[in-house]
Amino acid sequence: MATTYLTLTNEVLRELNEVQLTSSTFSGAIGIQAFVQEAINRSLNDIANEEPQLPFFASAASGGTDPFYGNVTVASVAGTRWYLLKTGSSGITTDYSSIDWDDFYITTISVSGESAPYVSKGLKFITLTDWRRYLRDSENADDADTQVYGEPRYVIRSPDHRKFGLSPIPDKVYNIHFYAYTIPTALSAHGDAIVLPDQYAPIITAKTRYYVHQFKDNLQQAAFALDDYKKGMKHMKSNLINPQPTVMTDDRTYF
Amino acid sequence: MGASQPFAVPLGGGLNKSTNSIELLKTPGMATKLKNFEPAIEGGYRRINGYTQFGDGTRPNSSNDIIGLHVYADGVVACAGTNIYFSLDGDSWLQINKASVAGGGDDYSTFTGRSASARTSQSTAHFATYKGNTIYGELVITDESSGTKPYLFKMTGTGALSGRTYFGELITVSGTHYPKFCIIHDHHLVVAGAATALNTIYYSGTDDINDFTVDSAGSIVLDDQVVGLKTFRGELFIFCRNSIYKLQNINDEDSIAVTPVTKNVGCVDGNTIQEMAGDLIFLAPDGFRTIAGTARIGDIELGTISKTIQPIVNDIVAASNTYDFSSVVIRSKSQYRMYYSTSSGLVSNSYGIIGTLRQNGFEWSETVGIIAPAVTSGFNYAGIEKFYHGDRSGYVYNHDTGDSYNPEGTETNIVAEYQSPDFDYGDLGTLKTLDHIKISITPEGTVEPFLRVRFDYGSIELTQPADVTLDTIPAPAFLGTAIFNKHKFGSGEQPLVRLSLVGSGYSNFFKIYSDDTKPPYIINGLYINYRPSGRL
Repeated sequence: MATTYLTLTNEVLRELNEVQLTSSTFSGAIGIQAFVQEAINRSLNDIANEEPQLPFFASAASGGTDPFYGNVTVASVAGTRWYLLKTGSSGITTDYSSIDWDDFYITTISVSGESAPYVSKGLKFITLTDWRRYLRDSENADDADTQVYGEPRYVIRSPDHRKFGLSPIPDKVYNIHFYAYTIPTALSAHGDAIVLPDQYAPIITAKTRYYVHQFKDNLQQAAFALDDYKKGMKHMKSNLINPQPTVMTDDRTYF
Repeated sequence: MGASQPFAVPLGGGLNKSTNSIELLKTPGMATKLKNFEPAIEGGYRRINGYTQFGDGTRPNSSNDIIGLHVYADGVVACAGTNIYFSLDGDSWLQINKASVAGGGDDYSTFTGRSASARTSQSTAHFATYKGNTIYGELVITDESSGTKPYLFKMTGTGALSGRTYFGELITVSGTHYPKFCIIHDHHLVVAGAATALNTIYYSGTDDINDFTVDSAGSIVLDDQVVGLKTFRGELFIFCRNSIYKLQNINDEDSIAVTPVTKNVGCVDGNTIQEMAGDLIFLAPDGFRTIAGTARIGDIELGTISKTIQPIVNDIVAASNTYDFSSVVIRSKSQYRMYYSTSSGLVSNSYGIIGTLRQNGFEWSETVGIIAPAVTSGFNYAGIEKFYHGDRSGYVYNHDTGDSYNPEGTETNIVAEYQSPDFDYGDLGTLKTLDHIKISITPEGTVEPFLRVRFDYGSIELTQPADVTLDTIPAPAFLGTAIFNKHKFGSGEQPLVRLSLVGSGYSNFFKIYSDDTKPPYIINGLYINYRPSGRL
């Protein structure tokens, strides 16, 4: 079972030799106990801010639509360029925290009415600058005139970061698969579990101690705690972000 | 956090209710609450003893209040209702206020068959023992109702009461004047405070305590109402409501004189006057005071000794007309005790003050739960010091003994609490995280008090730690008294009990309390280990 908010809070309080909380006193915490609770959420956000694409921040499990491994699927509409990254999101505060813009995939597989041969390819990310410079004008002219549209080849990010755009404007329905990461949900109730595996819980407590020692004006201990946090983050990123082989092999044939 | 720091506090100084919290930082050994603890003469604070029923709990006079007790002969005299009683063991009581007792004394059956010499409207009684040349001496009894003459009682013989001889008579002082107070002073019986002569003292003939008509007898009129009498170092101190006098040279007709000690300070209640440790202590309107006789004859020093509990004393004095006072000295503890309660007060809200004389003067504490309109101590015929008190339900108790209270024979917990001032560990501006505490405690058996820690004067802005039970105090084993499987061989006489602490604050206080019928214990001192943890 993942570490709960109460367990995490009490771990920090024990380290600080402060009065621990119980499930019944948790919601009414005051003083240093309340500060620790707040600092834990700050620490979670710090981790997410430093590395938003950690696997446990994924918005959903990958491979929901096999064989595509994105965790979000958006269906395009003929003649529509822009699509909300998070359907139903009311604003940027509720949007995804991070998108893997290098991993958009477009396909007609599983689209109603479509049959082989299917469209099935990756979308290349281009910057708004390039898109404005080379593609926007012609696409807009087509949209206003013949409305031929086309099969999207590029994905772009809207300036407000809330939408993705397809270029060319799609001529029919496609499924766009991509990978999104959510903003960590603030822990609230004593039984709320952290999304991190237990082995990384000390990273949260280290950053929490950092805040608490700062709160207590104990800079030396804060520095120690920050060092613990940095080491923890380094190891966690190494384990979770870059586990692939990094060795280059030479496959040239010598005659 | 920084390196741990030690802080040791020997407990002493007693209850302090009159110093502000910042000033108290300088005196961490004192207590801000000290209920049912007593400053121990060897230092520290000791949970007080309880009280047990005297004998089998038979009451002298049904449910009538016990309004006077006095150690006499080999037993105790008790006043209740309109009668006076004597008992050897508390199992049975002999009524001793009898009329028409033969001048040569009555035997037991004759005495018990006499009609009562009723003590009309008897209230708080006063006693004076004239040793004379009889085995137990002669006992004079007056009471504050001023409704009857002083009663003189004498008993001779030893063994069972049925084999003894009894004497009893009323003493006529002057006409219809019935004095409230009595004292034996330099071969004279001195009485005063009659409702009809509030400011007159009468003294009997020399070694003739029941005759106020002979030449060596007389009377003196003062200009203030008498509230108490006490003989001290050859002089008779006369405590009045607003002044204090002393009577000198009572046996010299030419030089007998009443001289004022002070005309600025009086005594709130004569029942608060006790002689103790070479001093007279009494409750004055501004606190407890002593009259200290110095080496130089006539040199009098008046001093207030209860400044540390002045708010409590002020409350007592302000409501003194509603309280019945009693007081007693426990010599082995160098201790003065004063109890006060209203006539309708419950046991739970009956209070007392304990003053223990230590090297640096009196240290004070409070009692709760002892209702004692009458209390006495004295050496009996065998030379053993006895302590008794009586309550408003007519019961007499062995005072200051046992591990529990026993009102009306029902064993009751002693609720005791000691609370230290807030400790700032030398700097009120630094946040401290407590590490552990070692409590030096002297248990007198298996005890389990509780420890409470509160930070920043008990601030509700902090999460305060839970109370901890001190259940690992090894009761030391002493040769001759140790009990197998109860006391621990090899444990220290004053073990240090170590407890881990949690929490942080700028200051904190400790409270050690118990609510049980376990044996007493002395808290000698505290050793606290803390870590400075920054400044907020």
